[in-house]
Amino acid sequence: MFKKILLATTGSPASFGAARVAFDMAKRYGSEVTIFHVVGVPTKAFSHVVNDVRTGEEVEIDEEYLAWVEEELKTTFAKQFEGADNAKIVLTTGVPAREILREARKADSDLVVMAASSGENASFHKGYPGSTLQKVAKAARCPVLSVHRESASYWGGFSNILFGTDFSKQAESAFKFALSTARELDCDLTIFHALDISGKVLDQNEIEENLIIARKRIREAYVPLMGDFKNYDIEVWEGTPYVEIVKLAREKSVDLVCLAHHTNELDPERARIGSTVEQVILRANCPVVSVSKPDKV
Amino acid sequence: MPQGELCNRQPIVTDEQLKLTLSDKSGKKYYAEMLELDVDTNALWATIQKTMKARLKTWLEICAHCGMCADSCFLYQVNDCVPEQVPSYKIQSTLGHIVKKKGQVDNEFMRHCMKVAWSQCTCCNRCGMYCPHGIDMGVMFSYLRGLLYSQGFVPWELKIGSGMHRVYRAQMDVTTEDWVETCEWMAEETEEEWPGLTIPVDKQDAEIMYTCNAREPKHYPEDLAEAAVLFHVAGTNWTVPSEGWEQTSLSMFAGDWECCKDNVNHVYDAIERLNPARVTGTECGHAHRATVIEGPYWAGREDGLPPKPYIHYVEWLAEALREGKLKIDPAKRIKEPVTLQDSCNYVRNQGLKDVTREIISYIVEPGYFVEMAPNKEHNYCCGGGGGFNGIGMYREQRNVALRKKMDQILDTGCKLVIAPCHNCWDAIRDLEEEYEIGIRWSFLKPLIIGMLDIPEGMRVEW
Repeated sequence: MFKKILLATTGSPASFGAARVAFDMAKRYGSEVTIFHVVGVPTKAFSHVVNDVRTGEEVEIDEEYLAWVEEELKTTFAKQFEGADNAKIVLTTGVPAREILREARKADSDLVVMAASSGENASFHKGYPGSTLQKVAKAARCPVLSVHRESASYWGGFSNILFGTDFSKQAESAFKFALSTARELDCDLTIFHALDISGKVLDQNEIEENLIIARKRIREAYVPLMGDFKNYDIEVWEGTPYVEIVKLAREKSVDLVCLAHHTNELDPERARIGSTVEQVILRANCPVVSVSKPDKV
Repeated sequence: MPQGELCNRQPIVTDEQLKLTLSDKSGKKYYAEMLELDVDTNALWATIQKTMKARLKTWLEICAHCGMCADSCFLYQVNDCVPEQVPSYKIQSTLGHIVKKKGQVDNEFMRHCMKVAWSQCTCCNRCGMYCPHGIDMGVMFSYLRGLLYSQGFVPWELKIGSGMHRVYRAQMDVTTEDWVETCEWMAEETEEEWPGLTIPVDKQDAEIMYTCNAREPKHYPEDLAEAAVLFHVAGTNWTVPSEGWEQTSLSMFAGDWECCKDNVNHVYDAIERLNPARVTGTECGHAHRATVIEGPYWAGREDGLPPKPYIHYVEWLAEALREGKLKIDPAKRIKEPVTLQDSCNYVRNQGLKDVTREIISYIVEPGYFVEMAPNKEHNYCCGGGGGFNGIGMYREQRNVALRKKMDQILDTGCKLVIAPCHNCWDAIRDLEEEYEIGIRWSFLKPLIIGMLDIPEGMRVEW
């Protein structure tokens, strides 16, 4: 199910966790890994002049420069390359999110793995997943796995999967992915809904009533789809959704959180704050996979 | 002296030559070869005799050197009003000299002309409005650029640019396959949010055929998706051609006349093949000038018009808003001071000044629109027109040129600039990068999509 993994990376320390997960998965599942790096964002003319994504400096792309970048990436990921038979580096220029999507589509990738942000401009970006991740997660046809914290790295395969649902259409794809992963890798699956009571004044009876309704909804929506799969349980908590997801993930030692990233906000700058997926990515102690499309589930 | 391997009088016509020229970092070898490049003075004079018509001859003759054009030129203004930047001086001391000398000029002079033609004039045609005789230095510089190109004295990027058009029929290496693939990709990516949305390729007899700028499929395909959303919401029967979709013409900036004609014929062939009722292009100024204003003459069309009515995107948009095909939710209108960049190429060259303001009247809350001063046909070039944006060798001069637009924007006090021209958009982005004045800039498409009053059932609510 993870035959082709696309590791989208700037090569900066912010993406080391993502790289580790990608390579671990590749070794475990015999996947092919493409280290995909967008060298720079085109500025003038035919994209031969770009702003280097790492330094922001204007550079002219030529073979020498590309060879140098490739060498740098090889050095950066030297450890991961050891024993990875099926890994290659692909470099390109363009707008990062767009080029990651282009490559994933072209290569028919099964999974995109990336960090939550490039980790640069720390004062501004820290604490927010970057616009690249947001755009990729929104439009990619395949699941997008992100690793934000170094500790959120993968140590020994997936065994506990948490699927969080808001009952949206996109969540159906996320569920299918969670289920087939759990089936294939023989994991425990927790189906979870957090009743959003943030900023609301509700009485306890109402909350409890809604919890019962949500639990019923999960049973109706997801249980019939699981067939003979029995390693699941259902949890419904109230609170602020991302907080509850992270708490539950910690409590159950979950090693993969599966959610659907969707927003109808066109401007990623404005969509930045408040999205559950993004907050979970930042806080979770394990990789988070966002699945919004039905294609690769 | 022999011609160089990269710098020579032949246009780039093969992919191999294109890649070879591109691989020459910063055009180092190219410009070194240019120092040795022979001027074929006989051919130069023969070309002038054959191509220089009465209007240009008269203009060169009757210029009274009165200097009225000086202040009209933003490059004169931002360069400390030095006499070398007076438009009439610029053209008289270059083209005028070549004509006077009957083409007997040397390499050094040609290189001087190249510098003046590409770093001291953006062909914005503003001087023509202020000349008591109506002499348009922009037009004359375009002509001079053609002469220089034919002799191989053209900036490296523009030599490649026209080569791109010749090899790929696009200003970037976007093939027909890439283009069609991008249309499919963007339809796939957008249809989920906009059920029923399609990007029809090569549909016959559509209401509108849409053309664009190759930068879009190459790097910003969401622009195509945004166009598709607006056509979809407006209920337009539209199409894009699989061939002849590229509306821009770097060859016009390069002075590659033969290629200009080829570019525009390619688009016209698509129009004739698909027979749409009308055609519109993307938010781009020079593309419109090349395909709609100048193109018919390059193609030798006697009526001076493209094969079908060809409107600029702002005209299509204004019409859709006017007729209620696109409705703006008043609550979502822009409620912050906002200004508008008038593109020289479709405002001064075609007079589309009111139609953009009509769009503003729909999308900006009354009282928030601030005009630049001067504006409309009197507005100044963004600072990067005529190919200036793309030429590395003259980057420093271009950055100085941006100061006029920067001052104009700062004077409005606005932080948001609407720029419905790809080149102006790039120049304004660059001026923010260079001078960090804290502004944002946008095309119309994403702004409008964000404020649409979407008909029931047309958009998936999440």
